[in-house]
Amino acid sequence: MHGAQGQHAANQPNNLAKNTHDRELVERAQLGDTEAFGELIAAHRDKARQWAERMTQDPHMADDIVQDALIRAFLHLGSLTDSTRFLPWLHKIIRNQAAMRLRRGGPYRHEQPFTAFESVKRSSPKSGFAKGAASSNSSSVNWDDLDSILHHLSKGGRQAASVGESVHDDPAEQLLRKEMFETIHVLLHCLNRKERQIFEAYFFKQCSPETIAEMYETTTGTVYTYLHRSRRKLREAHNVNVYFQGLQPIRGGSVMTRKKQIHLPPWSREQMAANSLVDRVAQLLAALDDPRPMAQLMGLSGFAFRMKISNRTTYADGLYIYDWRQVIPQFLAKLGYEATILCGQLSGMPVPLLGAAERFPVVFPIEESVLPFIRKYIDQGMPLLYFDTLAERPYVHEWSLVYGYDDEQRVIHLTDRMSAQGKTLRYDDVTDNPLRFLVGIDGKQTNHPESTTLQANLNALHFAVQYARQGCSYSPTTVYLSYSSGLAAYERWIGFMHKDAGVMPNRYGMSQLSLVYGEAKRQAAQYLRESFIEGEPMRLLLLGAEAYDQAAEAFEQISARMPFGSSQSISASPQTELLAACSTDLSTARDFEAAAISYIEKALLLWETERI
Amino acid sequence: MTTKVITFMTQFEHVNDLIAAKESFEAAHPGVTIEITQATDNFESVRAYNSDNPPDLMDSGGWGLFKNKNMFVDLTSLVDAEAGLADDLQPGLMQIARMDGSLPALPVDVSIPLILIKKQLFDEAGIPYPHEGWTWSEFAELAGKLTLRNEEGVATQFGFATAPDIEMYEPFIMRNGGSYLSPDGKTAHGYIDSEATIEAFRSVIDLYRVQGGIRKPDEPSEAGELHQQFAMVFTFTWFVGGCIHHGIIDQYELLGLPQMPAGQPGNMLYMGGVGITQKSKEPELAWQFLRHYVLGRPERFAQSDTRTLPITRSLAEQSGMTSHPIWSHYLKELDHVRASGFYLSEKWNSSRQLINEDIKRMIVDGADLAQTLKSWTRFA
Repeated sequence: MHGAQGQHAANQPNNLAKNTHDRELVERAQLGDTEAFGELIAAHRDKARQWAERMTQDPHMADDIVQDALIRAFLHLGSLTDSTRFLPWLHKIIRNQAAMRLRRGGPYRHEQPFTAFESVKRSSPKSGFAKGAASSNSSSVNWDDLDSILHHLSKGGRQAASVGESVHDDPAEQLLRKEMFETIHVLLHCLNRKERQIFEAYFFKQCSPETIAEMYETTTGTVYTYLHRSRRKLREAHNVNVYFQGLQPIRGGSVMTRKKQIHLPPWSREQMAANSLVDRVAQLLAALDDPRPMAQLMGLSGFAFRMKISNRTTYADGLYIYDWRQVIPQFLAKLGYEATILCGQLSGMPVPLLGAAERFPVVFPIEESVLPFIRKYIDQGMPLLYFDTLAERPYVHEWSLVYGYDDEQRVIHLTDRMSAQGKTLRYDDVTDNPLRFLVGIDGKQTNHPESTTLQANLNALHFAVQYARQGCSYSPTTVYLSYSSGLAAYERWIGFMHKDAGVMPNRYGMSQLSLVYGEAKRQAAQYLRESFIEGEPMRLLLLGAEAYDQAAEAFEQISARMPFGSSQSISASPQTELLAACSTDLSTARDFEAAAISYIEKALLLWETERI
Repeated sequence: MTTKVITFMTQFEHVNDLIAAKESFEAAHPGVTIEITQATDNFESVRAYNSDNPPDLMDSGGWGLFKNKNMFVDLTSLVDAEAGLADDLQPGLMQIARMDGSLPALPVDVSIPLILIKKQLFDEAGIPYPHEGWTWSEFAELAGKLTLRNEEGVATQFGFATAPDIEMYEPFIMRNGGSYLSPDGKTAHGYIDSEATIEAFRSVIDLYRVQGGIRKPDEPSEAGELHQQFAMVFTFTWFVGGCIHHGIIDQYELLGLPQMPAGQPGNMLYMGGVGITQKSKEPELAWQFLRHYVLGRPERFAQSDTRTLPITRSLAEQSGMTSHPIWSHYLKELDHVRASGFYLSEKWNSSRQLINEDIKRMIVDGADLAQTLKSWTRFA
């Protein structure tokens, strides 16, 4: 056997083992293992550089290309569907980077590559997201240039990946790396869905314009138009808005601060709904010149019919336990709006409403993860839904609307149920909110069914019946958190009122639950009265409305006994006689709501039978 | 007479024992009122602490609240000042309570898991009961053999019952020499992805996928409730206490957890705590009530509705638990407890349900175990 051939044959088992090892590394890296990616890159960095140098004939440019390519590979390894194809995939990235660089007609003619910033020394060893970073840090970031921003965001990842070093001992680097994906995601929020898909396909998945055109059944010219428009929007949305905490925002080296407030329509206490989510959506819509009757919002959203009680005792948390990520966008979609959510839970500090937040990603208290999102919508004239965990007493946490920001004062402006003129929260408070949940309205849906259509209302009624009979479809998986919902919630609640129940009813929760659910029953009655069907089914719905009014009255009795926000000790255990009276009221409310649901069921059955 | 008020903010809803302690303390201390208020969770407790009227005492069903720096009085000196108390406290659980170098709370609601064997189901299968020192392979084989399915393949009986939850698997990982996190809780690198952890974790997942001895998530079942057609039950003291209370404990034998290949002892522990806040204006009086509530009244552990373990040897002794056939076993196991991941890292704890979703994927879809565990390094 010829020497070279023999060598080749002898290498085959090694190559096989190497390929298997590569595949394992790729799969681990795809699962978020940055060390595996580092190992992968350490193994192939030389080869990548050889490719780049062969393509460019320029060793310096080759270094830059490899650096850029590795960042993109690190960011988007998840898009590599066949884990055995890492090297060809990396080769393609290198080739595209080289082609892009060569097309520019020389280094950095229009754009600086990521590595162009390498020479700029930072005064702080910690990267830009670390709190209190020195001002010279920001000087290395060109906020007019998307690549520069992406470079800045991905610095930690590159450091880990390019040299295969273990950086998990450095908390700041670790934090940056983990936060990077979320922040880039935030950056891209200013794009609509199509723009984002095309942008990501081009920049991150390294697809050619021709491929993208095929994917989206369009022309390459349209793809270029999308890319051009996306880049412009990204620059406009972020070049002055993303900056280091504690520093002034930078644009072109000059200091520039920004502030903006959106005028919200007046919202009197009489208008205010006890359900703060629906209430805030109502004012949001009014601000968008799309006012809706509260009963319609309560009915369509389902909150007129929802009722959930903790199985522990009468804590108020049942009011908030539903799938926020599903229910809120669906509610807005029914009203004809597209929305984007930013959510997460912070670790290391108590998170309220664990039953709702338990599957939210764990995020870090980093300003750049939240403030750009707020600025983006405020700049577009859109108030944002915000879950405020610093609600003024007697509230613990409530939904609010963010309607302004002020970079100089470092505060956001938001509504608070206890303050007619609104309030401010410091950027730090927003960043440190342990339960991060913001909703921005992206615009009106095209071709959405009108929310006042008969079918939308029929769907709401079906929801009412299903929820009452079968309870909420969402339940937390945390073993010690469970809830009863629908008509079963009454039984649970009444059980807590019994003197031998062995649990202490929570007075604060009782007062808030009765206030919110009592008003919900009123709204349910009103919603049923807003006649959208005719004949005998309508007569049945009117009977249902009467029954809901009676249920509301029973809740109002409880509220009268335990007024929400009264000055007495809010958590003191209610007295036995009081609980007995509340138990009677709850039994009354249960009977009337059960009757109301039966009327709705019959109305729906009759309506649908008549139309077969 | 001037009345002194001690405010106690509890997160527990079952407060009969707390109210009993309040009443007996007030009777013994005229002029002192213990005012009990409630909080839904740690978030509300912290808000109450930061309010204008912070409570003197606060409890929590877990330990996360007591990891808040500068919020609770370090009880070490108070414990040391009481003759014999430091030695009387159960050392196993106290090493966990003191894991951050101070003692921010006295443990309450202490519980650990062992395995209950339902004798009737073994008898019906003609299988002898296992004995202490049983191995994992013996246990796994039993779990498979004792699972019965009808002609449609629906289980009418399961060999073993446990929840598909990261915490429930931790004792087996510990007993194989593995762990989820480093002892200081700062990293999972080198721990969750260690060979010992992966091996033990694979053994647990195999119980679902290979032996078929545990109900998979969402799997149809005709095995009924936990006290019905489940031959072996991974059970904490709460369930055992319920069995004693309802007079069905004679149907069971209690066994220690099976030996893993590494042959190490080890078990997890659940505990809450009660601490004196640093803003208390009456810390001495608060300590007196805390002693009374947590360290006194041995009779409560002698009652048939006892569900948890006392934190001192003297309470165990005086209540008769040390000579009780069931409770004595649990008390001995306290010597082997170690801090679980959720005590060591709040981030790990916060990520619990995300991790559990991955566990479900491993059980139901066969997701790659080693890779998945490696990916959990991001949760610490």
